[in-house]
Amino acid sequence: MTFKEILEIGIDVGGTFTDAAVRHNGRIIAAKVPTNPSDQSVGFVDALTAVLASIGAEPSRVARLAHGTTVGTNALLEGTTASCAFITTGGFGDMLELRRQNRADMYRLEVHHSPAFVGRDHVIEVAERCDPDGVVIPLTASECQRIVDAIGVLDVEAVAVCLLFSFRYPDHERMIGDALSAAYPKLSISISSDVLSEFREYERAATTVVDAALGPVVSAYLGRLAMRADMLGAPRPLIMQSNGGLLEIDDAATHAVKTVLSGPAAGVQGACAWARAEGTAHMLTFDMGGTSCDVGIIVDGAPLFRSDTVIGGHSIRMPMLDIATVSAGGGSIAWVDSGGALRVGPHSAGARPGPAAYGNKGQHPTVTDAHVVLGHFVEIGTQDHLVRLDRDAACAVVGALGVELGMTPEACAQGILRLVDVEMARALRVMSTERGIHPGDATLCAYGGAGPLHACSVADAVGITRVLVPACAGALAAIGAVMADVRRDWVRTILCPLTDEITLTQVLAEMTAVARDQDAQAAVYVTLDCRFRGQTHTRAIAWPSGAVAGDIDPLFRAEHGMRLGVEDASTPIEVVSVRITAVRENATAIAPPQPYGVISSGDVSVMLDGATMWVPAGWCFQQRDDGSYYVWRDLAAQ
Amino acid sequence: MIDLITLHVIGHQLRGIAEEMEAILVRGAYSPNITERRDCSTAICDATGRMIAQSASIPVHLGAMPAALEAVIACEPEPGDVWVLNDPYQGGSHLPDLTMVSPLDIDGVRLGYAISRAHHADVGGSAAGSMPAGSRELVQEGLILPPVRLIAAGEHRSDIEAIIVRNSRTPHERVGDLRAQLASHIVAAREYERVCGRWGAPVLQKACNELLAYASRRMRAAISAIPDGIYQAIDYLEGDGISDDLIPIQVTVVVAGDHVCVDFSGTAPAVAGNLNCPLSVTKAAVYFVFRCLTDPDIPSSSGAFDVIEVVAQDGAVVNAQFPSAVAAGNVETSSRIVDVLFSALGQAIAVPAHGQGTMNNVTIGSEAFTYYETIGGGQGASAHGPGPSGVHVAMSNTLNTPVEVLEITYPLRVEHYRCRPGTGGRGMHVGGDGVSRSFRMRAPAYVSVISERRALAPHGSAGGENGHVGRNTLNGDLLPAKWQGHVEPGDILAIDTPGGGGWGPPPPDIRSE
Repeated sequence: MTFKEILEIGIDVGGTFTDAAVRHNGRIIAAKVPTNPSDQSVGFVDALTAVLASIGAEPSRVARLAHGTTVGTNALLEGTTASCAFITTGGFGDMLELRRQNRADMYRLEVHHSPAFVGRDHVIEVAERCDPDGVVIPLTASECQRIVDAIGVLDVEAVAVCLLFSFRYPDHERMIGDALSAAYPKLSISISSDVLSEFREYERAATTVVDAALGPVVSAYLGRLAMRADMLGAPRPLIMQSNGGLLEIDDAATHAVKTVLSGPAAGVQGACAWARAEGTAHMLTFDMGGTSCDVGIIVDGAPLFRSDTVIGGHSIRMPMLDIATVSAGGGSIAWVDSGGALRVGPHSAGARPGPAAYGNKGQHPTVTDAHVVLGHFVEIGTQDHLVRLDRDAACAVVGALGVELGMTPEACAQGILRLVDVEMARALRVMSTERGIHPGDATLCAYGGAGPLHACSVADAVGITRVLVPACAGALAAIGAVMADVRRDWVRTILCPLTDEITLTQVLAEMTAVARDQDAQAAVYVTLDCRFRGQTHTRAIAWPSGAVAGDIDPLFRAEHGMRLGVEDASTPIEVVSVRITAVRENATAIAPPQPYGVISSGDVSVMLDGATMWVPAGWCFQQRDDGSYYVWRDLAAQ
Repeated sequence: MIDLITLHVIGHQLRGIAEEMEAILVRGAYSPNITERRDCSTAICDATGRMIAQSASIPVHLGAMPAALEAVIACEPEPGDVWVLNDPYQGGSHLPDLTMVSPLDIDGVRLGYAISRAHHADVGGSAAGSMPAGSRELVQEGLILPPVRLIAAGEHRSDIEAIIVRNSRTPHERVGDLRAQLASHIVAAREYERVCGRWGAPVLQKACNELLAYASRRMRAAISAIPDGIYQAIDYLEGDGISDDLIPIQVTVVVAGDHVCVDFSGTAPAVAGNLNCPLSVTKAAVYFVFRCLTDPDIPSSSGAFDVIEVVAQDGAVVNAQFPSAVAAGNVETSSRIVDVLFSALGQAIAVPAHGQGTMNNVTIGSEAFTYYETIGGGQGASAHGPGPSGVHVAMSNTLNTPVEVLEITYPLRVEHYRCRPGTGGRGMHVGGDGVSRSFRMRAPAYVSVISERRALAPHGSAGGENGHVGRNTLNGDLLPAKWQGHVEPGDILAIDTPGGGGWGPPPPDIRSE
C-alpha cells in the first residue's frame, strides 16, 4: 500500500457472517468472519482485524469506519427490548393495543397481533388535552409530579411519551420529558414530537415506543462498539440508518428507531454506488440469503424511500429505504399441498440442519438442494474455507418429492427453482411497477450468498435483460456502509394549503435554522409531502433550490398525472408535512468498471468470493477490472 | 395441459394485476373510506365471467364480483368500455359501493374483464353517508345506477359522471374517487395486454380454466375434511330499525363428501327496514366462513366458491328483491349470517366462539361534511386461545380513522377511545373485549347509528360464556340499536361495542366469583 492511502472500512453484521470491506489500491478487499450472536461487537472487531491483516495495515490508519447493524431488528424480532412505560393523553391509554382496529389476519380469526410493547399496567394516562386549535386542558405542575412518582413506582429502563396533537403543540410532552429526566437521569426517554413530529397518533406512538424500547439495547451495543474501537485505536464507527445515511454513533444511540433497517439499507447503498459508477438510471436490488430475500429499488441513481414499515409486528413510521422482504432463501423448504401443487417456503431448514446437501442430516428438500441436483454448484464457502456439497443427499430428498408429484428429480428441482423465482419476481414487480418503473428498464443488482444464483432466472421472469453482480457480492452491505453520506432528518406536520406562503416560509426558516445549528457545513434539502385537498395519501415533492412555493404546484400536478394516468388541473394542493435533510456528502465513488475478461455464454456456474453465480443458457457475461460481473440477455440467441 | 409451474406463474401474474389495481385505487382516492379504511377490492375474470383472481381488503366483497359482471355482460359491453353500477338488484351490494367493469380485449378477442368495487362515502339519498338508519325502500338510500357506461368505446362520458357527482353531498370527493377507480382499470388493461403478450391468448385461456379447476380441487379437499352430516342453527337480528321484532336467520348445512349445500330455508322474509341483503352479499358471507374454516391459502376464485351451493328463497331477508332497502344488509345481516354458520358448522368441526357480530356503523354529517366509521369489538375465543380485543371480527376489516385526522377534518372531538375490560365472555379462553368510542359534537349534525348485539349477546362456544352486549348513549341516555336524529354542539354520543364469546368452560374459581 502507498503510505498516504486513506483507509475507509465498512463492516456489516449479518445473521451468519460478519463482513468487512476496504478499498485498497483501487480494488475492494473483503474479509468474512463468523458472527457472534450474543455480542455483535466481537465479530465487528474480528472482521476489522481480519481485513486489516489482509492488507497489512494498523487500526490507527483507518480514517473512517462505517457500520450496518441488525442489533435493533433482532431485538424487535426476538423481543429482547428494554422494559418500557407509555405516557399518553387521558382517555387514550389503550392506543397501543387498539392500533388501527384491523385484525392480524383476515381469515385466521384466532391470530393475535404481536402483543403491544407496553402492557396496560405500564401505561399512564395524563390529565391534559390539546386539539387542532390549541390547549383544551392545561397540564398542571402537580399532574406532572404525579407522573414522575408513578414512573418511579414502575421502575422501568425506558419511557415513551405520546400526547394527542403534540406534533402541533409539543409543550406538554416537553414538560413531562424534562420533569422525568430531572428526576431520573439514567432513564431513557423518547418524546413523540422529537421522534416523529407527524399526525396520526397510533403510528406516532408506536414509533416512539419502539424508539424507547430499543434505546437501552442499541445504546449499550453502540457503547461497547465505541469502547472496542477506542481500545484498538480505530475511529468510532458511523452507524448506518434505515434511510441509507450514516449517523454519528452518539446520535444513533439516542435515536435507536432510526437503525432498524441498518443492515439491508447498507446493501442498497452498495448497489447504489455501482449504479452511479455504471451510469445506470434504474436498478432493482436483490439480496438473497439463507432464509430471506431483500428487494429494493434505485431510480435515477438514488434509492427510493417509504414512509412506514412493520417489523416483528411493530409499526414504525419513519422514512426509510423502500425495502421489501420475501421469506424465501436458499434454505426454504419445498412441499406438496392438498391440491397436489408444489410449494416452496415459508418454512426454512435454517442454519441447522440446513439443506440436505450440507450433510447435516437435513431431511427436507430446499432451494439449495435443487441447485445442487441440477449441478449449479458443487461447493460453498469463501476461498479459504470451501465445503464440498453432498449431491447424493440432495438427490434423495428432491427425488422423494418428485415421486409424490410424478416428476423426475431434475424436473422437480427445476420446479422448485421456478416457484422461488416467481415469488421473488412478484416482489420485484411490485417494487418496480407500483413505483412507476418498468422492470425492463432496470438493471438487476444481485448480491448476498444466493442472489447471484437466482439473478438471471428472476430477471427473465420479470423481463429484466441486464444483471450486475458487484465485486465481493457477499460483502456488498459492508461496501455500501463505507460509501454512504452522513445525514440527519427533521419532519414537521403543518397541514396548510400550498398557497399559504407565510406559514410555509416561516416553518422552513425555523427548521433550516435547527439543521444549520447542528452542522453548518451540511447541504440542506427540503421536501414537501403534498396531496390534493381531500386525499389521504401524499407524494413527496423535492423543493428545488431557489424555488418559491408557487413552483411546487405544477411539479406536484405533473408527478400525480404521471403516476396515476389521471390529470387534475383545478383541485387545491395541501402541504401535509415538511421534511428537512442535512447531508454531508461522501465524495468517494467507485470508478466505472472496465471490461476485463472475455465474453462467455451461459449454462455455466462461476465461483465468486463468498457466493456462486449461475448463468443459464441464453445469457452472456463478462468480468470487469474491479472484479464485478456484467451479465446480459443474449437477444440474438432468442 | 399446462405444467403446474407455468400455471402458477400465470396465476400470480393475474393476481398481481388485481393487486396493482387496488394499490392504484387506494393511493389515488379521496374518501377516507377507501384511502384510510381500504373499503374496496378488485378482480380479474375470464371471458365467461368466472373470477380468476381477487385482491380483497374486506371480506364482504368476496366472490361477490361475478354477479356484477353478469349484469354488465347482459348489456353486451364493447371494447374500450368502462361500466359502472351500484344497483343491488343488478349486481351491486349496497348503494355506496360503486362497481366498475371493463372488458379486456386483445386483437378483437374478448379474453376477460377487470372489476373494481369501492365504498364511496356519499351517493345521495335521505341521509349524509347514504346509510340511513330508518330507510324503507332503496330510493331513500341514494342514487341507483343500473349498469351504465362511464367510458364508451374509449370515449369518456362526462354526462354519467356529472349525474353521480351532482347526486352526492361531497361532489369533489366523488370526482377524485371515480378518477382513481378509473385509473385502476387503465392499469388493468395495460398489464393484461402485457401478460397476454407473454403467453398468447390460447395458453392464457387454458390457464384460466386450469386455475379454476385447481382452486376447485383445493376447496373440495377442504370440504371432504368436514364430517358428513346435516347441521342446523338459528340466530336473530334485533329489529330492522322500524320495529323491534326479532328477525330469524336460519341455516341448514348439508355436507356430503366433497359437496356442501348452505340452505337458508326458515329465514325471515325481507323486512320493512334496511337489513335486507341481495343474494351476492349472502354468498360473500358464506364464502368468508368457508375461507376461515378451510385453508385461507386456497385461491380466492370462482373455482373455489362455485363448489359451495347456496340456497335462499326469493324475497327472503337474505335474498331480497326490489324495492327492499339494503343499506345495513351488507354490514349487519352479513355479520349475523357468519355467526349462524359458525354455530352450524361448530357441530361438525372446531370453530371459534362468536365475535361481536356487528360493525357498529356511525354516520355523522351535515350539508358540510360526512363522517362514516365502523367500530371494532371483541373477537370470539377459540380452542387455540383468547379472542383478540377491539378488532373487526368478520365481514369488515377496515382501519379506524385516527383521532387526530378525525378532529382536523370534522367538527368533532373524541372524548375517549378505549377497551371495555371484562366484556369478553368468560371461559377457559376468554373472548376479546369490546371498545368504547365517545364523540363530542362541535356543530349541529345528523347522526345515524346502525348496530346489533345490543340485546342478544355474542354466543360462547364449547361451554364458554357469552360476550357482553354493546350499548349506545347520547348524553348518557340509552339509544336504541338503530337510531337517527339531530344533535347539537356539546352533545356526547358514546358507542360501546360488544365483547366476543368465550371458549370452553371457565375455571371454577372464576365462575364462583
